[in-house]
Amino acid sequence: MSIAAPQGAPAAAPVPPEPGPLPVNYLNNGHSIWSWLFTVDHKRIGILYLVSISIFFVAGGIAAGIVRLNLLQSDGAIVSEDAYNRAFTAHGVMMLFFFLIPAVPAVFGNFFIPMMIGTKDLAFPKLNLASWYVFMLGAALAIWSVLVGGIDTGWTLYPPYSTRASQSNVIPGVLGVFISGFSSIMTGLNIMVTIHKMRAPGMTWSRLPLFVWSLYATSLIQLLATPVVAITLVLLMVERAWGVGIFDPSLGGDPLLFQHMFWFYSHPAVYIMILPGMGVISEVLTCFSRKNIFGYHAVAWSSMGIAVVGFLLWAHHMFVAGISFYAALLFSLLSMLVAVPSAIKVFNWTATLYRGSISFQAPMLFSIGFVVLFIIGGLTGLYLATLGTDIHLHDTYFVVAHFHFVMVGGMVMGYFAGLHYWWPKMTGRMYSDFWSRFAACVIVVGFFFTFIPQFVIGYHGMPRRYPNYPQEFQFFNVMSTAGAGVLGVGYLMPAVYLTLSLINGKRATANPWSATGLEWVSQSPPPIFNFDESKMPVVVCGPYEYSLGVDQMGRTLPDAPTGAPAELHEGTAADGHGPTSPAKQES
Amino acid sequence: MADPTPTPGATNDDPHGIRKDLDKPGQLVVVFLAVLGLALVNIFGSTAMGPGKFTLPFQLAVGSAQATLVGYHFMHLKNGDKVVLLTALSSIFWMGILFVLFLGDYMTRHMIVD
Ligand SMILES: [Cu+2]
Repeated sequence: MSIAAPQGAPAAAPVPPEPGPLPVNYLNNGHSIWSWLFTVDHKRIGILYLVSISIFFVAGGIAAGIVRLNLLQSDGAIVSEDAYNRAFTAHGVMMLFFFLIPAVPAVFGNFFIPMMIGTKDLAFPKLNLASWYVFMLGAALAIWSVLVGGIDTGWTLYPPYSTRASQSNVIPGVLGVFISGFSSIMTGLNIMVTIHKMRAPGMTWSRLPLFVWSLYATSLIQLLATPVVAITLVLLMVERAWGVGIFDPSLGGDPLLFQHMFWFYSHPAVYIMILPGMGVISEVLTCFSRKNIFGYHAVAWSSMGIAVVGFLLWAHHMFVAGISFYAALLFSLLSMLVAVPSAIKVFNWTATLYRGSISFQAPMLFSIGFVVLFIIGGLTGLYLATLGTDIHLHDTYFVVAHFHFVMVGGMVMGYFAGLHYWWPKMTGRMYSDFWSRFAACVIVVGFFFTFIPQFVIGYHGMPRRYPNYPQEFQFFNVMSTAGAGVLGVGYLMPAVYLTLSLINGKRATANPWSATGLEWVSQSPPPIFNFDESKMPVVVCGPYEYSLGVDQMGRTLPDAPTGAPAELHEGTAADGHGPTSPAKQES
Repeated sequence: MADPTPTPGATNDDPHGIRKDLDKPGQLVVVFLAVLGLALVNIFGSTAMGPGKFTLPFQLAVGSAQATLVGYHFMHLKNGDKVVLLTALSSIFWMGILFVLFLGDYMTRHMIVD
């Protein structure tokens, strides 16, 4: 990465603001409810999304709690079998459509893409606000349909059960998902146009932070795939409401057509969920190991690779559903292919950590948790992509454990890493260092106890979505439920200490982690238009010049966070030897 | 902001360079009628051909011609820059993925070897 900074000592970053009344920022500029509901500020809309998806996360978590508690006994401990179906459907619908998909793009993407590329807002601020309203409308419909009776089809909504036999609220629920899909398209479109058109002077494509690259890839999937599921859901509603034969074989339809179209979206959708998390991880790992990312272009292009290859694998969900033998062979092979860009990322992250001066603040702990759990989730995916083993493992708890390792162990960890990394910037407050580290550990431990037993019972043949099971599986189910309890406590802890930080947290400086991105240039919380309007940022170097100790504007970084010796990068910045300086070699 | 030079065709009242004189009304009507005409060709043509071997390729070919007309004239591909063209071509490629892999299942489903 070449540095175009002017010769001589770079201008120092502004000193941290002294305690006192906060300067005008996006949070204290108007306190009325209308100043929030009619805002077109991307940061406030990000906060609106943050509050909404936190509520849906709790709702989905309660449904998961019902499922896990019911599985304590082999004949169903707390709810009827019918209610059990509705509980796991509610869990899936809430978590996938209303938490995981908007989690990072709509919260951190909204908030930080304009800041990271050095501009004042997204390209279409009103569209951005509209996307939140559309999202809430869809969510309201879906929640309503869950509360008044629920849906019992599973989140995959397979016909002909969903269109013919199910006696539950399929249409309102599907309509809710359909509507919220438009919000996903709007956010993707907005982010994509912003990245293309509104980058600060000097912010070339190869100087973009990797979080921006990953969200670009995510937006591509959102734009291309979401319309396909939208039309699929419309066809589903048409068949259910008016009996038009599309998917139901008794009406002349083809149920596999639904599965094809549904997974044509829903497999890429798992990359909508995981790619932004990978972007967060790339930011955090570099910052807390004080190193440039290893293989910038490899990591950036592997995001695009995942986005493209992700479209070629969908029928691996249908190996035992009756698709052609040859198609199954082809999709099995193609499914293996996506392991390549995923592995490229993991290897580059590992190489980034190598000989870094690592400090273990909460964002770093969550990120390391992400890498470990994602590796397990990814490698177990190979068992499912392999045609032969999938026939044995299909629709068992092995699958459940696999995708929870990727979605929860990967994405939710990535979400929490981002939340902890950017919380000081978003709120201007520091949270408890001890409790946040502790929570990260509790979550990882709880996670292992919840989902490792599911690999075992799945391998031994316990099917997913069944309320009952043979007695010999009880030990593992109880262990899993106990782990889920620990996990639940782990997720509640951030809710407490993050809320407390708003009340009595230490005031955050502009750049508490000593990170290089443009989002750390302005005060915390940021001013209304992100930067001092008289001097918008001009980018002079790549995104991760930690060894040189300069941010993207070429200015010296403030002290590194506790754990990394501060004199280290000051020394390297002063003597200019970068990673080979003596200070580095001692560490 | 990445590129301070104005978009080609930009005017003071329209910074995005969408020229109002791009479409002549007569041209629009002609294209519209052509698309409708092709729809009729498709319907009556495939009815006349019956469910034969070449009906599906015929229908897809007519449909592609319609889509090309809409893209080229109505969606202004005729004077789009390189990025727009690239976007259009990649979405066709993406549609190709959808159709080829779909058909990869449907057309080989009955070819199970024992
Ligand atoms: Cu998949």
